[in-house]
Amino acid sequence: MKQIKINLVKLLKGYKPGWVGISPDFKKVLVWGKTLNEATKKAKTNKEKIYYFPSGESYSNFVGIICYGNNNRL
Amino acid sequence: MGIIIDYSPLPGLEKTGVLAPMIPVTFKNGRHEFSTIALVDSGAEAGIISTVIADKLNIKWRKIPAKTGFSVGSSFLFHPVNVTASIYDHDFSLKVNVVEGIFAFKCILGRKDVFKRAKICFEGHKNQFEVIFRELN
Repeated sequence: MKQIKINLVKLLKGYKPGWVGISPDFKKVLVWGKTLNEATKKAKTNKEKIYYFPSGESYSNFVGIICYGNNNRL
Repeated sequence: MGIIIDYSPLPGLEKTGVLAPMIPVTFKNGRHEFSTIALVDSGAEAGIISTVIADKLNIKWRKIPAKTGFSVGSSFLFHPVNVTASIYDHDFSLKVNVVEGIFAFKCILGRKDVFKRAKICFEGHKNQFEVIFRELN
């Protein structure tokens, strides 16, 4: 059984707002651009499949969350 | 043969302990392709993508009449389009909705697309989910 680990916090740590291109094994960022177009242009010479995802964002409204208490932990 | 994917922490949500089921997906619109990581949402009736992703796929979404959709928080405008998706070499057609005014990263797969193509088992106690694609001829 194939098992995949994607840790977006580790991958995107330290990157400014923009878009990153992530390697197909989800272990490293291959390119970064201020815009998606800039990132895809930088990746043109790369033969691997690249997964694009925005960096420097808070994804707090990606998922619906309800927080309880002071430490925000559910 | 299934794939097991660990839930991912999301930037900005580290202190909440929230983890999200994220799946790599490649969308295809003719010769245009875009690969990203989508949220697998069993509560979503259908898949959505942002206009930024739609533009990258060369989808002329502005020419498609807008419809109104409803979510827990608010209503939104969307433009339904047909594309192809590929997840770990499983290709399938789907209707995805280009939603206006949402964050660029938003890409969600829901019940009308990935859940019809695969058995998806959320194992919250292990912080992972399993995807087993149906064998369709």
